[in-house]
Amino acid sequence: METRYLIVGGSAAGMAAAHTIRKKDKTGAITVLSDEDTLPYFRPMVPYILTGKKQVPDIALSGTGIFVQPRIDVRTGTIVTSVDPVAKILTTASGKTWSYDKVLFATGSRPYLPETVKGLDSPGVFSLKTVADAAAMAQRSRNTDHVVLLGGGILNLKAAFALLEKKIKVTLVVHSPEVLSQLMDPEDAFLIRKALDRAGLKIMTGCSADHVVTDADGVCAVALDNGTQIPCRMVCVGKGVIPNTECVRGSAITVDKGILADPFTACSVKDTFAAGDVAVTHDPATGEKTVTALWTNAVDMGICAGLNMAGIPTRYTGTLGIMNATQVAKEPFVAMGRVHTKGRDLETHIDKTDTTYRKIVFNKEGTRLVGALFIGDITHAGMYRYVIREKKPIDRIKSHLIRHTLHYGHFM
Amino acid sequence: MSNYKEIFVKTDKCTGCLTCKIACAVEHSETKSLFSAIRESPRPVSRVYVEWLPGNAKVPVLCRHCEEAPCLNACISGAISRSDTNAVITDAGKCIGCWTCVMVCPYGVIGRDQTLAKAFRCDRCPDREIPACVGACPTQALVYETVDGFSKTKRKTVSRELLTREGA
Repeated sequence: METRYLIVGGSAAGMAAAHTIRKKDKTGAITVLSDEDTLPYFRPMVPYILTGKKQVPDIALSGTGIFVQPRIDVRTGTIVTSVDPVAKILTTASGKTWSYDKVLFATGSRPYLPETVKGLDSPGVFSLKTVADAAAMAQRSRNTDHVVLLGGGILNLKAAFALLEKKIKVTLVVHSPEVLSQLMDPEDAFLIRKALDRAGLKIMTGCSADHVVTDADGVCAVALDNGTQIPCRMVCVGKGVIPNTECVRGSAITVDKGILADPFTACSVKDTFAAGDVAVTHDPATGEKTVTALWTNAVDMGICAGLNMAGIPTRYTGTLGIMNATQVAKEPFVAMGRVHTKGRDLETHIDKTDTTYRKIVFNKEGTRLVGALFIGDITHAGMYRYVIREKKPIDRIKSHLIRHTLHYGHFM
Repeated sequence: MSNYKEIFVKTDKCTGCLTCKIACAVEHSETKSLFSAIRESPRPVSRVYVEWLPGNAKVPVLCRHCEEAPCLNACISGAISRSDTNAVITDAGKCIGCWTCVMVCPYGVIGRDQTLAKAFRCDRCPDREIPACVGACPTQALVYETVDGFSKTKRKTVSRELLTREGA
């Protein structure tokens, strides 16, 4: 009999799993239930929807990269509200039930809105996560000349640049001493900070929003904890994300922050799997349990879950909690593994020029590469990731790692 | 196993002359002629790299078009795809220069065009019968064959070497 695969969530992990299953199982029925109204798309491209440089069809997943398999039934606008993993039945918000043989929870994450900041439910407060968010922000931005962004992470920086492109003034309010604090120590960020300042971003560090001030048209200012008020008609919150675990709560599936997944992406109940932002997995650099919110990690884990669901036992190698490559204000950077070294017992090598910054981090014994940060020049970053992730022996290549002379020949 | 041709490297035959790099850069230039290519701006760059190892060994390195390609999985803009000749290709039109592919490539063979903010790599010269680097290599350190063909040739060479060594 044909296997009925059900996938909850139509983004990176869910769609990667769906296409992987189809590669291995030509006959099973694969259904994806997505709570969004749009067919699956490349979520990291959402800022381009805000600027108007791309339209939704331009960023569709289907037919590109690994998403080229046939016969995957995607149901949009379908919100799963509960699951009975023993009877193998899902229930949706409309009351419809779906029975399955194997299920994957790839429900992703949603923006975290700190409860300490009052008024974040007001009209004009956004987080840039979905195409619907981008459309709503674009709409509101027509009547605003100033946006305050709460949080200095990558998502907010991307949002800030998208708004700058629309000729809107932006102010970033960052609680930490410097932007990108999740990805580097404050003193690592000076080249990026310089580039951001040059690009025209106004950044206020070391302060937080206390509450959002509103009038009849929604947001009209943000009141900070230092007593000042910044007038604005729009707020964008980028304070991290939280896993969407609601639909499995109350079921036999174990949840601890996210849905617990074993090294084979399986949950605590048979024929139940989890992948992507919602899944709790392990970090090979630190050995700790981790949840990440990264497209690339989600795709990798989705592929792995797809293989396991199709009956090919595949161990997931884990996600580096930090693994980011991007370019902000023409400054490329890559942060991987353990890059926060301040006050920690790690062997750290820093090498800087006027235009580049490189930090290479080994464990305290200096026997294993555990992290790397490159700013300005990211050449060969992938080889460092390989050494970190695969825990490669480094005795023969350590000086090359430090001097940045590593090349593929050294692995031969 | 794929029946498509791939570029194989015979490190023992490489003399480090870098002819492959020049041929590659010219092939990926606007004018496709060495004399005019060197005057182009931005200057055309090679997608083949030749690295040195202690003992003066040379190692040409280029995109392997991996069967399980990390870059293909990692691309966040849908710019990387598998072509109908099994090559992994980057569509410059869709590339947004986020460098995620650079971060995940264990071979370090994805280059960055900083001016245009586009990633580039070996495309096996789709307009040519034989890739430019292979055609230009004077010592046949680069060969263009199917996996099957390459291992057959290799088996023959090895057995011939063994026979010679045994004095047969």
